[in-house]
Amino acid sequence: MNQEKTKSGGAVQTTGHAWDGDIQEFNNPLPTWWLWSFYATVVFAVVYWIFYPAWPVADSFTKGVMNTITFVDGEGNEKTTHWNTRSLLLKDLQEGKSAVLSREYTDKVAAASYSEILGDAEMMAFTRSMANGIFGDNCAPCHGTGGAGVMGLFPNLADDDWLWGGSVDAIETTIRDGRYGFMPAFRETFDDAQLDDIASYVLSLSGHKVDAAASARGRDIFQTDAGGCHYCHTSTGTGLKSQGAANLTDSVWTIVAVESAPDLAAKKALVKGVIANGVQRTMPHWSERLSPAQIKLLTVYVHELGGGQ
Amino acid sequence: MAQTGIGSAEQYNYEIIKKFAIMALVWGLLGMATGVYIAAELAWPALNFNIPEITFGRLRPVHTTLVIFGFGGSALFATSYYVVQRTCQTRLYSDWMAGFTFWGWQTAIVAGVISYVLGYTQSREYAEFEWPIDLIILVTWVLYFTVYIMTVRRRSQPHIYVANWFYIAFILVIALLHIFNNLAVPVSMFSLKSYSLFSGVQDAMTQWWYGHNAVGFFLTAAFLGMMYYFVPKQAGRPVYSYRLSIVHFWSLAFLYMWVGAHHLHWTALPDWTSTLAATFSIMLLLPSWGGMINGIMTLSGAWDKLRTDPIMLFLITSLSFYGMSTFEGPLMSLKSVNALSHYTDWTIGHVHSGALGWVAMVSFGSFYHMVPRLYDTRLYSTRLVYVHFWLATIGILLYITAMWVAGIFQGLMLRSFDDYGNLAYTFVETVVFLHSPYVVRALGGLFFVSGVAVMAYNMIMTIRKARVEAAELDAKLAAKMARI
Repeated sequence: MNQEKTKSGGAVQTTGHAWDGDIQEFNNPLPTWWLWSFYATVVFAVVYWIFYPAWPVADSFTKGVMNTITFVDGEGNEKTTHWNTRSLLLKDLQEGKSAVLSREYTDKVAAASYSEILGDAEMMAFTRSMANGIFGDNCAPCHGTGGAGVMGLFPNLADDDWLWGGSVDAIETTIRDGRYGFMPAFRETFDDAQLDDIASYVLSLSGHKVDAAASARGRDIFQTDAGGCHYCHTSTGTGLKSQGAANLTDSVWTIVAVESAPDLAAKKALVKGVIANGVQRTMPHWSERLSPAQIKLLTVYVHELGGGQ
Repeated sequence: MAQTGIGSAEQYNYEIIKKFAIMALVWGLLGMATGVYIAAELAWPALNFNIPEITFGRLRPVHTTLVIFGFGGSALFATSYYVVQRTCQTRLYSDWMAGFTFWGWQTAIVAGVISYVLGYTQSREYAEFEWPIDLIILVTWVLYFTVYIMTVRRRSQPHIYVANWFYIAFILVIALLHIFNNLAVPVSMFSLKSYSLFSGVQDAMTQWWYGHNAVGFFLTAAFLGMMYYFVPKQAGRPVYSYRLSIVHFWSLAFLYMWVGAHHLHWTALPDWTSTLAATFSIMLLLPSWGGMINGIMTLSGAWDKLRTDPIMLFLITSLSFYGMSTFEGPLMSLKSVNALSHYTDWTIGHVHSGALGWVAMVSFGSFYHMVPRLYDTRLYSTRLVYVHFWLATIGILLYITAMWVAGIFQGLMLRSFDDYGNLAYTFVETVVFLHSPYVVRALGGLFFVSGVAVMAYNMIMTIRKARVEAAELDAKLAAKMARI
């Protein structure tokens, strides 16, 4: 590739112009490989235009020849159209290998009862496969990919403590209809000393060694209409699933991290904060976004995430 | 060199070129540093610090505006004014008009960047400027066009050199794109907010007609103009083929206009539009390569220069990246490849192999040639040019390989199915995968911007050296005059 010589051996001439003193141009011919490659891309384009929708003509366009798609439309009628990406997608959703496989399994699971699904290894394997995607795309943003949640904001789904019940029916209701977790704020009802007393009593329920006199004063508020706490948390403090009221007698805390607080004073401060400020949490309803079959799959998946009941 | 020394400083308007060249470096450094920061934000989102003004969404247009229009635009103004004067052997048509293009352009960039940080944007990619800034750009551009065309008309050469064709095409097409893409109705006379004249898929189509032709004429044709002057000049050899330059110029200009829709495959866009965009993209491959062939073959017979001249190294490497990304582009514009690559970081990698590898590298090479000549001196350090070259090259390689890995694997993860016919990965799992490539990408960017810092230092020292030399010369002259 020596541009001073042509193929016949003669010297290549410059165009005879010079700019800025010394810029000149050889007049080499177009490289042959370049020209033929360019022609090849033009041929490729023309062939493409023949077989696919390509050129606008009046208010329509050339549809492409010998290139049709046959699929079943929304009303169940078989339709044949020219090649187009929308029909391609519809056809793939109807006949694609993965789509068919997934639909078959989904239909099977949709028709089965929860106990049948839970007892069938294959249906469970499918459920885990599909619901992992549903959970990852819809639930994980709040509850985390592993379902561990965020203390105070989004409940942990991977433990065996269930505010609203851990049976498949309760979980399905939660997903389908959503939940509104509410505890009133008591900061205007009680003064600081009273809040202190209630917190002491609440901690005593889970076996903490607290000041007996304070705990007794707190008990009077908790168990009477003064505080009314027992209506939701019950007189034994074990909570009420119908209200999403937490069990206060175990060592699982869902709003504040009492267990990891360094000493009793810190634990009491945390509990006091909850009583003073209350709890307002919302879980949206998914019935309009997910199909009944998807909710069913998700229910089983969440049930298996933690210790389902 | 025929025209250098004090004579040329009077013959040509060099002041305007110096201003643009310095601003190109300032914006380049700032814009690329912003790029590194937002790359780090993607790897470590906590770097947002929950401050709205510095979140990715607001800083991203700051980055693109600073590097494309601040750095690239100022580099084009500088080199085009240099090239048009030297190849036409005439002074710029109007000094005040050229001065206006400088202040207008810099005002638009500063105003744009501030408005993005405050949350004002048209939300049109690479055209985020709200309407008042669009008007400043419009006036600036009309004056640019006038200065350029009138200077070419005043040339003392019978023929217009090829570099000028490319610059003129760039100026003309950008005017067209800017006007039509930004047709919008302001909410009120004193509101920055406006609504586009287009809606729905037509709006998307207009945006990408603009967007891809901005790549085609701003980042390709204009920089080819730069290449056509600085490569033969630095190599000291004639351009390989005049004929090839004509053929690839016209085919490039004709074909580019059709391909914008390849950014909208598999969307609401009609299929025939997609087909035309894909096929014209394929046909664009060889015309794009015409520029690369002409540049690289110009050095044929003088390859040894690559061993001794780091400026040539910059220019030839830029052409290699240009060739690579103009091969990758048509490939990605095919619907089947696009189904994998679109919405992934492959696109980001592709853009940067063009932007860093081609646009920035050819500008660096040209600046190392041009700036010492503007100041009538020699480069402060050739060794630092080598340092810059290697920092830049390592940076680009880290960047684009990280993005290939990120893009191709995310694309594959998003389309893989398990034994039950379900998607094998959730979206968030693909995001988790992206972390490592994102870290490597930020590192690549850091290498690249460090190179620019080295260049800025080299340039500052060159200009300082020129001042000292000029002062010495003046002192000598004064002494001589005193003796007489």
